[in-house]
Amino acid sequence: MAAVEHATIAEAAPAPRGMLFRHARMQRVAALFLAPAAAFLLVLIAYPLCNVLWLSFRYANLVDPSTVGFAGFDNYDTILSDEEFAPALWHTFTWTGLSVAGEYALGLASAIALAQPIRGRAIFRGIVVVPWVIPIAVAGLNWIWLLNPDYGLINSWMVRLGLLAHPRDWLGGIDTALLAVTFVNVWRSFPFYTISILAALQAIPPDLHEAAAMDGAGPIRRFLVITMPHLKAVSLTLIFLHIIWTAINFDFIWVMTAGGPLNSSQTLPVMIYKYAMQDHDVGAACALASMSMSFMAAMFFMYYYSVRRKGAR
Amino acid sequence: MVVSRSQNLFRATLTYATLIFFCFFCLFPFLWMLDTALKPAAEVMSDRPSFLIAAPTLENFESILFDSDFAIYFRNSLIVAIASTLLTLTVSVFSSYALSRWGRYAVAKAVGGALLVSQMIPGVLLLVPLYVLMQRLGLLSTYWALILVYCTFMIPLVTFMLKGFFDGVPFELEEAAEMDGCSRVGFIWRILLPLSAPGVLATSAFAFIAAWNEFMFGYVLINDDGHRTLTPGIMLFRGSHQTNWGLLMAASVLAVVPVAIAFVYLQRFLVEGLSAGAVKG
Repeated sequence: MAAVEHATIAEAAPAPRGMLFRHARMQRVAALFLAPAAAFLLVLIAYPLCNVLWLSFRYANLVDPSTVGFAGFDNYDTILSDEEFAPALWHTFTWTGLSVAGEYALGLASAIALAQPIRGRAIFRGIVVVPWVIPIAVAGLNWIWLLNPDYGLINSWMVRLGLLAHPRDWLGGIDTALLAVTFVNVWRSFPFYTISILAALQAIPPDLHEAAAMDGAGPIRRFLVITMPHLKAVSLTLIFLHIIWTAINFDFIWVMTAGGPLNSSQTLPVMIYKYAMQDHDVGAACALASMSMSFMAAMFFMYYYSVRRKGAR
Repeated sequence: MVVSRSQNLFRATLTYATLIFFCFFCLFPFLWMLDTALKPAAEVMSDRPSFLIAAPTLENFESILFDSDFAIYFRNSLIVAIASTLLTLTVSVFSSYALSRWGRYAVAKAVGGALLVSQMIPGVLLLVPLYVLMQRLGLLSTYWALILVYCTFMIPLVTFMLKGFFDGVPFELEEAAEMDGCSRVGFIWRILLPLSAPGVLATSAFAFIAAWNEFMFGYVLINDDGHRTLTPGIMLFRGSHQTNWGLLMAASVLAVVPVAIAFVYLQRFLVEGLSAGAVKG
């Protein structure tokens, strides 16, 4: 690319030698400036990435160096024949789907409220963002305490309001553990949607709404015809990003339930962790990571092409 | 606008109701955290929990600060977060300058693309090879393991944030500085950084919060109490049988303090800075 530029410059006008020299020198400086960042990416992202693929076809143990050798597809076999795999996959889908849907709904509602011309908007905006900056470990523990069956605030409130007959162990129940963690995840993650959607809402020209109102369009119709189409690009990006971020989130589930009880809240990242750090089975952990990665790559291309196709149209 | 007064009133009421609901929803967990931290043990374990405290006390804070490893974890987190923020900034100032000024060069396009892609690669999938790599380098249970990993995962985002700020500094300034005999590094240090100081500070606050909050790598790569950071450390305070929630909530309150300070600064930039990237996509 740069070489082509180089050539055209040289042909178009016999540039003074100094210019060409300067151009080449600038390119060297640019490369020098970019080298540290590139080194980080190569050593700590590209190399491990290739290593995951490589190790997924090898026998390897984290603590026992005598386990070596080519494994073929044995590691993939280990994963696929693990009876926890299918439930974990299903939990990952549930956890991701419900989280992203809940986050989007709360984010949209709060952003629309924040976009109204009212007093104290900055304060409200600051408060709504708070959950998002709190460490997940702290937020998780805080909610474990809130959901505590014996002394927790939530159970006590629900019993007093008559919503529950008896306090419930939300995080300890097989049916409720994953849903409870999902709820907490929604609580922590929705502010990111709020901020992004709010910015997009503020970019909609107000005369559009005024003109539509003149023509007799009610608030709901204006929302559907003007607001939603303007939010389409942000929404697509937000949802796509969060599908990935949520599906591979390890922290929340590990802090709050560690995948339990009886693996009822175990998702794929938790499984990767357990294979690696509890069974020390590097090969199987990498096989599972590789499968997750190819799934993500597929998602990425789907998103990329759907956006590009729309751009072309 | 053709809106009647009653319609306006209805709208304002609905807006305030929604916002007050959201504020309550976002804040009550923290209020409860603070409330629990200030309660004596007997009141924490009450089956009719209430926000009212009969005998407020600081004993939870006292014992977490002086009778536990909390202070060590806190110090470790500070070291790791500050060091990785500084290193990330140093690397990213140069890369974002190059992307901002020489974006059309092949090398800039290649590295820029790589940064964009690596932003999408989640840490948990690289957990095993990174663990093996750190083991081989002898860096397990050292600050360096975390500093290097945090830098790697923050460089892409920080580079793009800084590039946004650097793009706003006019090119003519640089030519003028060059005429006056200012070197390129001299220009970055003496003119570009001071001019984009608010943006650089906001970006650093963001990087600091990200490093401070990180849990998984701290949990996996550090196995010794002397180097453990706060987020995994706090989890260890939760005993396997009986949890002292007063203590745990006091630790949580203190763990949030540095984030809160960074956040107060960051907050003003959140709407413009962060969402600019999201909207463009």
